[in-house]
Amino acid sequence: MSKVYFSTWNGEFVNNINTPQEEWKESAYNLPAQYDSHRASKAFIGWDGVALFDKDVDVIRLAMEYAAQYQEYSEACGRCAPGRWGGRILYDLLDKIARGEGSKADLDHLKEIGKSMQVTSKCEIGKTVPNPIIDLMEHFEAEFLECIDEQKHSKHYHEEVGYIAKITAPCSDACPSHVDIPAYIEGVRDLRMDDSLMATRQTMPLAHVCGRVCPHPCEEACRRTNLDEPISIMSLKRLGADWETDHGYDFFHPMQKKPSNGKRVAVIGGGPAGLTTAYYLAADGVEVDVYEELPVLGGEVAVGVPEYRMPIGKYNKDIECVKDMGVNFIVNSKINADDMRRFEQEYDSVMVATGTRISKKVYCNNERADIKGYWGAIDFLDKVNLYEKYGYKISKEEQEKNLLTTDFVDLTGKVVVCVGGGFTSMDVVRCAIRANAKKVYMIYRRDEKTIIKNTTYEEYHEAVEEGVEFLFHSAVAEMVDEENILKSLLIDKYELVPDPNGGRAELVKVEGASYIIEADYLIPAVSQSADLKLLPPEWEIEMTSWATIKTNGKDYMTSRKGIFASGDCEYGPMTIVNAVGQAKRAASVMSRYVLSGEVTLSDDEIMEDHLRKLKVYDKKEKITGWLKGVARQHSEVLEVEDRKYNNKEVNLGFTQEEAMSEAERCMRCYYIAMVQA
Amino acid sequence: MNKLINFKIDGISVEAQRGETILTVARKNGIYIPTMCYISKTSPCASCRMCVVEAEGVEGFILSCNTPPTEGVEITTNTAALQNERTNIMKLYDVNHPLECGVCDKSGECDLQNKTLEFSVERQSFSARDQLRPLQHWGLIDYEPSLCIMCEKCVHVCNEVIGDDAIEVKFGGYSSTIIPKNSETLDCTFCGECIAVCPVGALVSSGFKYRANAWELERVPATCAHCSAGCPLEYETRHASLNGADEIFRVKNNFEFASLCGAGRFGFDFDNRALKNENAFNRAIEALKNAKAIRFSSMITNEEAHILELLKDKLGVKLFNEDARKFAEFMKSYSSISSKLHHSGSLDAIKQSDALIVIGSRIATDNPGVRYALTTASKHNGAKIVYAHPMEDTLMQSVITQMMKYEVGTEEGVMALLAHTILKDSDLDESERAFFDELDFGYLYAETNIGEEELSHMMKSFMRAKKRTLIIGNDLIAHDRSSNIAKLAALIEKYSDFSLIVVPREVNTLGVSLINSLDRDEKISDVVGYNAKGDFVISSLEGADLAIPSLNQQEGTFVSIDNRVLPTNVALEFDGYTLNDIANALGIYNKNTIDYTKELNKNSGFKDISFDDLENFLSPLGEDNRGYLLDEVECAADGKLEELDDMPEFNGTIIYQCNPVLQFNNYTFKTAQLPKENFLRGSAQFGVAAKIADGDMVEISYKETKIQRKFKLDSELKGTIALNPTFDISVDASRYRFEKSKIERVMQ
Repeated sequence: MSKVYFSTWNGEFVNNINTPQEEWKESAYNLPAQYDSHRASKAFIGWDGVALFDKDVDVIRLAMEYAAQYQEYSEACGRCAPGRWGGRILYDLLDKIARGEGSKADLDHLKEIGKSMQVTSKCEIGKTVPNPIIDLMEHFEAEFLECIDEQKHSKHYHEEVGYIAKITAPCSDACPSHVDIPAYIEGVRDLRMDDSLMATRQTMPLAHVCGRVCPHPCEEACRRTNLDEPISIMSLKRLGADWETDHGYDFFHPMQKKPSNGKRVAVIGGGPAGLTTAYYLAADGVEVDVYEELPVLGGEVAVGVPEYRMPIGKYNKDIECVKDMGVNFIVNSKINADDMRRFEQEYDSVMVATGTRISKKVYCNNERADIKGYWGAIDFLDKVNLYEKYGYKISKEEQEKNLLTTDFVDLTGKVVVCVGGGFTSMDVVRCAIRANAKKVYMIYRRDEKTIIKNTTYEEYHEAVEEGVEFLFHSAVAEMVDEENILKSLLIDKYELVPDPNGGRAELVKVEGASYIIEADYLIPAVSQSADLKLLPPEWEIEMTSWATIKTNGKDYMTSRKGIFASGDCEYGPMTIVNAVGQAKRAASVMSRYVLSGEVTLSDDEIMEDHLRKLKVYDKKEKITGWLKGVARQHSEVLEVEDRKYNNKEVNLGFTQEEAMSEAERCMRCYYIAMVQA
Repeated sequence: MNKLINFKIDGISVEAQRGETILTVARKNGIYIPTMCYISKTSPCASCRMCVVEAEGVEGFILSCNTPPTEGVEITTNTAALQNERTNIMKLYDVNHPLECGVCDKSGECDLQNKTLEFSVERQSFSARDQLRPLQHWGLIDYEPSLCIMCEKCVHVCNEVIGDDAIEVKFGGYSSTIIPKNSETLDCTFCGECIAVCPVGALVSSGFKYRANAWELERVPATCAHCSAGCPLEYETRHASLNGADEIFRVKNNFEFASLCGAGRFGFDFDNRALKNENAFNRAIEALKNAKAIRFSSMITNEEAHILELLKDKLGVKLFNEDARKFAEFMKSYSSISSKLHHSGSLDAIKQSDALIVIGSRIATDNPGVRYALTTASKHNGAKIVYAHPMEDTLMQSVITQMMKYEVGTEEGVMALLAHTILKDSDLDESERAFFDELDFGYLYAETNIGEEELSHMMKSFMRAKKRTLIIGNDLIAHDRSSNIAKLAALIEKYSDFSLIVVPREVNTLGVSLINSLDRDEKISDVVGYNAKGDFVISSLEGADLAIPSLNQQEGTFVSIDNRVLPTNVALEFDGYTLNDIANALGIYNKNTIDYTKELNKNSGFKDISFDDLENFLSPLGEDNRGYLLDEVECAADGKLEELDDMPEFNGTIIYQCNPVLQFNNYTFKTAQLPKENFLRGSAQFGVAAKIADGDMVEISYKETKIQRKFKLDSELKGTIALNPTFDISVDASRYRFEKSKIERVMQ
């Protein structure tokens, strides 16, 4: 809800013209009425309409400037005949009217060219740029006619007025890393994989990773869904990265590395957030040292996500790409509070990106860490992956602790029970299958639908195919041990009881339905928490209620000046793309901070946040101009028997033909939004 | 998966195959949808928006060029509303388009002119402020941005078909333009395909610019005479001045489906000029009567080859052509295993493949047609392409997925390793299996420098492939062990799903090898050279004792790499004598050279079709209707693999006989527009090893050969092999292209 003077946003019509400000009706949308802490917005104009927050807005110039943005900003523009010429004609005619030289025929030409652009343009920018302009011409006709009839310039034509514009798209808006998705898909469509890859790397250095294991929230916001099915956005991302790797090219960086500015930043943690911070800071000319506790780089994606989902050879390419930007990595280096005190002196700023590496308990009776067979998911996956990907063997002592007889994780003859429901638990059960377990159970409190929602359809079905047994509406009530060795588990059954008042359904235990399963291992993969012992207590860094580092979620600075946090240790266990998005933003803030000592957001970032709040994707929007029912492509996956007992990559990715068909489905839903502030 | 989709266009029931769009189906069914940016051989540019159509039940217009039809959809291609929008698009294209048709090269064959008339754009209701956009001079190519309509065809062909990826769109609304990619000026192989596809006069040949109007030129359909790809082209001729003789003004090609390299496009003026010199003619007859042998090159038509074969019988002379002889021997060994005469592959097969091995050729310059087919395979099928050669080639980096760098001379070993890897699980016969079982792998890995891992990586990358092709270059044909190499190649083709292509070195090496019975070249006297060295030289090149017509002055046929017999025609008349005149004088009578077309050797697969009955066109849908494909011929499968020989060693400074882009031979050397950079090009390492510096004049010597060249450092090269061009000299085609050479600085 925003207070507006006038709005046509998304089909609404709020007209407070000639109404006293106290009586203004509000808009139903989260329009950016306040640009930032010290600037109010005067107007907001975009693909879906226009909103004025102030009656003094020069609407003719607003329309003209919006048309100008189409010429200036849009990466899409110039790529189709109606857009290329039409956009210029819109601008020229509006400018002609605004400077007092227009004629009535110009209004007709504006409408005619606007209509042609709406129906024939290549992308949504071309189709939507005329929308608010035509709205303004319609609702403020008198002002246009006044300029034309009296041949006078519009009211603020010669003044300095601030206009801030941003290109967005529903998918990019929904992507936590705000990847320019239409651009990388266009790269695939045009068979220009270098362009595709560089579009991705503008905001996402981990193209191999996020082309494989991203939960793709973008696909939930794909406008194509309104027509038939969403574009397979994630899978199209890996094409550029695979192409670069296959052809042995040097890394295609989307930017030229700036010369050193003499500033230094320490990054704690070499996972996705740390790598991302390092990449963009290094590109900005900052000297970056990344400290990693483990002997290997990559964080959870390296030691958590299994080889069959994310081949380390490919991930290492992403890591090399970061290195190639000129980043210094120090592995086997666990940072403690003393180090942090020192870093604060030695570096211009510090990024904490240590993730969440403590497995949370399942909260059942007799849940004791000293029972052999009770094995935290993070440690379990560490052991599996460090061996499978890097050849690190398990020490005698660790073997004994985890009931192993070999120097790698071999679960032959064992029954494994995992409690979870998220990606980590999926990795655990599928790794357990590959470690040759006799039987693998997944215990989950809710139902199949929810587990798919929390992970992906593919992930769940592949696990089922490989033989994992899912016990839904179940929870572990008690661990049963003999002399500190796990023997069995007591499982409670639950059912979903709808709330008679229409509220959220509640899980209620089914009395008398509990049962016992034999188990050698219980692997809790419910959630993880952050190990933040490295933060000096006297810094009194503010924490969230779930024990992660608190920031404002915009600039990612902690309560201590110069100390930033991003990724899971800030947000709590979340996705890779979330960590990358936070870290990318943080890197941008830090790169200004190390020079100026001030924490600021760029206009682009302010607009990004406004648009995120407004939400670019409208799932109710009706799609026109596209043929419905062109099927979404699915990439080939290895047959169960081919994949079950090895670490071969399961998803083979698109063939070129599939990729091109899929890319052709993309509707290029670019939009321009502009604020007058 | 391959189910047909049934739908309707303008009420007509049509069907689409997987991968077809509404536009392609419409075209197949003769239904016209206007386009300005569509080009059949690339992915849709989708920039003009002219091809919008309406679909029943769909609000708004849909784009037909990139939308596959759905089952049952009813498409309408022409309504008043569509016509109105298409007309508006044409009006937009005409905004600020300079009215300089009178001096524009494109006038008369301009898509913008045509469509402006088609849509009756007589008045303009739109206008925009014009912008200053200076003309760009890019060597053989000029770019006039103010004429450019930003259809992006040029960018698409350059990247997707040619593989240079040398131009791109600079985004920026109305001021969008085409710019050289990653370079100040155009840095490419100058194939000129961008000129060909340009629908307006924005990209033009700087050499042709302002020389003639399109409608004045006469078009002569022909086959390119520079390499064995057999590209279709049209020579465009006109009298050069009021009373001047005819000249070729330019070359054009059917760019919709075929492509042409820069040598084909810009290197057209290799014609020979001579009048009938009776004296020289009589001396030629005399020389032939006294000759012990005729030495000839493969730069001749099949009909000329046939006449030479008749002369051989008539005069009892030997025939020398080392290039074709080596090729014939290679194919003979191939046939002894495959039991057929012709290799199975073709350029189309390459384009459709998704797994390929190229071995023993610097293919980008040896045969640009193969390179473009590889580019298409790479871009459109995501093909995995293994490039096996002792030297990297930066021109190939964007298409190859694996460089397999072997030691010079070890081709036999490499082929044995490839065959072993590919045929691991094949149903070989006992002796064949024994051959592989007896291989000394340790020795082979060490000598070839190809590791087991590289081979397994190759197989892994080929895992999902549906169509595979093996491409064999001249290094294998000219190799001492070519016979066994050919058998290994045949074995791969026979027992695996690989098809095979053996790349002929010259334009008609393949034809000659099928027509002539050749003798091993001996250094004897009384040799008549026919387009080759001899004691008496009959040639279309300079310095001949008797002048004869060049290949653009003759009608006749070639056999291309596709085993296709292709007709070519007379672009320019030749006023002197031809081989047929000589044959007539020697008692082998036929009125015209092309009377021999239907007499070509049936045992080699030629058909009994006269020249005038040969078709010579690509259909509107791109089917190749030129000439005919050779019939397959069965052969005796009496060959046996031989034990591998010891791998030779090549140490020190080595040269590789290899031409720069745009040059092939003495004919391309003759042409006016093609650059003639005849440097010895080598890496810094080569310079150190040979103790020479950039710009030094050096003498290269091997065997009895001595060549003087200027040395040029090339930062794109590595190692101690330098590239020595051959287009300006004559080379012994029987020799392996790598030569251990002595390099000495020559004092100037």
